[in-house]
Amino acid sequence: MLWFEREVVQALGSSTDQDTRSAVEAFVDGSLRAMPEVPRLGVLAETVLFGTYVKALAATGRLNGPEDLRVLLDRWESSRIGPVRLYVHVFRSLVLFGENELGSGVMGDAA
Amino acid sequence: MATMTTEVLVIGSGAGGAVTATRLADAGRQVTVVEEGPWVDADAYEPFSLDEMVTKYRHRGLQGALGNPAIGYVEGRCVGGSTEINSGLYHRLPDYLSEAWQKKYDIDEFGPEPLARYATQVEAEIGVSTLPTAPPPSFAVLERGATKLGWRNMEFARVFRYDQAGRGTKQTMSRTFLPRAMAAGATVVPNCRVTRLERHAGRVVGIRAQRTHPDGGRENLRIHAEHVVVCAGAIHTPALLQRSGIRHNVGHGLKMHPTVKIAARFPYPIDHGDVPTHRVTEFDPHLTIGGSASLKGHIAMALAEATHDIAEPLADWENISVYYAAIRSEGAGRVIALPGMKSPLVTYKLTEADMSRLAQGLVHLGEVLLAAGATELYPSLTGGPVVRDLEGIGQWWDRATRGNTNLQTVHLFSTVRMGNNRALTGTDSFGRVWDHANLYVNDGSLLPDASGVNPQAAIMAIASRNAEHFLATR
Repeated sequence: MLWFEREVVQALGSSTDQDTRSAVEAFVDGSLRAMPEVPRLGVLAETVLFGTYVKALAATGRLNGPEDLRVLLDRWESSRIGPVRLYVHVFRSLVLFGENELGSGVMGDAA
Repeated sequence: MATMTTEVLVIGSGAGGAVTATRLADAGRQVTVVEEGPWVDADAYEPFSLDEMVTKYRHRGLQGALGNPAIGYVEGRCVGGSTEINSGLYHRLPDYLSEAWQKKYDIDEFGPEPLARYATQVEAEIGVSTLPTAPPPSFAVLERGATKLGWRNMEFARVFRYDQAGRGTKQTMSRTFLPRAMAAGATVVPNCRVTRLERHAGRVVGIRAQRTHPDGGRENLRIHAEHVVVCAGAIHTPALLQRSGIRHNVGHGLKMHPTVKIAARFPYPIDHGDVPTHRVTEFDPHLTIGGSASLKGHIAMALAEATHDIAEPLADWENISVYYAAIRSEGAGRVIALPGMKSPLVTYKLTEADMSRLAQGLVHLGEVLLAAGATELYPSLTGGPVVRDLEGIGQWWDRATRGNTNLQTVHLFSTVRMGNNRALTGTDSFGRVWDHANLYVNDGSLLPDASGVNPQAAIMAIASRNAEHFLATR
C-alpha cells in the first residue's frame, strides 16, 4: 500500500482504537494486493496523481490534517468523473466493511 | 516439471465442473478435477462474512467490470466454486427462454422438456426445498409489501436440506456432487491453476498448470488428458481459452444481472443471519426484487452509498436490512485475456434502456419496502437522497444516472455460447469447442443469454445434459 493510500484509509476510518485502525489498514492492504492487475494499476496511478495533488495542497497550506483530507475525499466521491468517484468508493467500502466486521470493539466506535 | 495423466480433465469445481465430474466418474471414466482455489470446509466461516470473503472469494470480492458505470462482481475461488458463497436460490430456467435460445442459436435437444428432465434428476440428487417453518422478519418483508400493493410474489426454493428442527444446510458442491465424484474414483486437486492449453491439429495435447503446496511452494505441472472440459466460469473459461489461442466467439457478449440496492430501516429488529428467499415477481422477466446479505458491514457500506452521515443509522443497524432490484440487461460486455496478466480485463456496456430499468427497479423496490413498513430508505445512489415517503422516492428517477448509480452483480454468463449457429457460438450444441475434437466447455459461459433468475439450476441441468451426450458419443 502506498503512502497516500494509507492516508486515505486513516482519513476514512472512524474508530478511535489504534489496534482496530491497524487491523483495518492491514485488511485494506491485503485486499488491494488481491485485486486483479488492471484495476490495481488504475488505482495505483490515481494514488500517485491524487497523492501529488494533496501534497501540493498541504505544501501551500490549503490542506491541514486528516479532517481536511476527509472533506476532500467526500467531494471526490461526488465527482462527475467516474474513476475519481470510484477511487474513494472502493476505499470507503473496504474501510467500512473492515471496521464493522473485523472486531467487536469497533461497533461502539462506529456508532 | 511434474506430470499427471488422466482420461478426462475437468478444470473448475463449481456447479458445472462438479456435475460434469460426477456424471463421468459414475459412468466409470477416469476423472481428475483441478481447482485454482483451496478446499475449505463448508462450515468453516459464517456465510458472507469477511473471513469467507478473504478465503473463498476470487480477489477477495474486489472485482469489477469496467464501464460507465463500472459494475462490481464476485466469484467463488475455492473447491465448489460460487456454490460455496452464493445464497443457494434455485430456479429452473424459464421455458420461454429455453425455447427462444433453441431457435436463435439452433441448439439440438434443448428446450423446456429436455431441460426439465435433467433438472428433475439434479433436484432429486442435491435437495431443493422451501422453508419448513414460518419465515423470519427479513423474509416476510417483501411478501407483506408486495401483497399490500397487489404485486405477484413468491418464495423461491433453495438448494438446502432442513433437519427436523428446521435448521438448513446449503447443498454446496463440496458437500454433494464432489464427494460423490470422489467416491466413484474421481480425483480433486485444489490449489492448482491451469495457465494454458497446448494444442496441435485440432486437439488439446497437454495442459500447463501450477500447483501451490501448503508451505507456499509452487510446482509446475503438465497434465495429459484424452478429453478436457473447461468449467472455470464465465470470466475465466474464456480467459483460459484466449490465452491458449482460441478466440472464435470466445469472450464476447458477456451478460449479467446488474443490481441496485436499498438499505431499509424498520421500526423493529430484523434478523441478519440469512438471505431472504422471498421475491417480488410482478415485473418478471426483466426485473426481480429480493433480499441481500445484511451483516453489519454490508449495512454500513449500503448506508454510505447514500450519505456520509451513517453514525446515527448504523447505531440502529439491527433494524436495517438490505434489499435489491436486479435487471435482465440488454447490454453486453467482454472478457479479454491480456498478455502477462493472470486476470483478464472485463468490460460491460449498459444501454439506456438498462439504466431506465435500473431506475425503475430502485423506485419499485422503494415502494414495496415502504408498503412493508420501512421508515427510511438509503438507495445505492451516491448522495442519495435518503427518503421516508413515496413522494421522496420520485426524486430517484432523476438521480439514478450513470454518474450516481452504484451497481453490483453475482450472475455472469454467455461468454462462450453454445449452439449449431457458428456465427453466434463458440461451441456446438453440447459444449464442444468448435474445431477441437477433445475440448469442451460446461459452465455458465454456455448460456446464450442472461437467465433472468439465479443461473445455478440452468448450469447444472445443462452440464448434466452435456455430460450425458459426451458419454453417449465418446
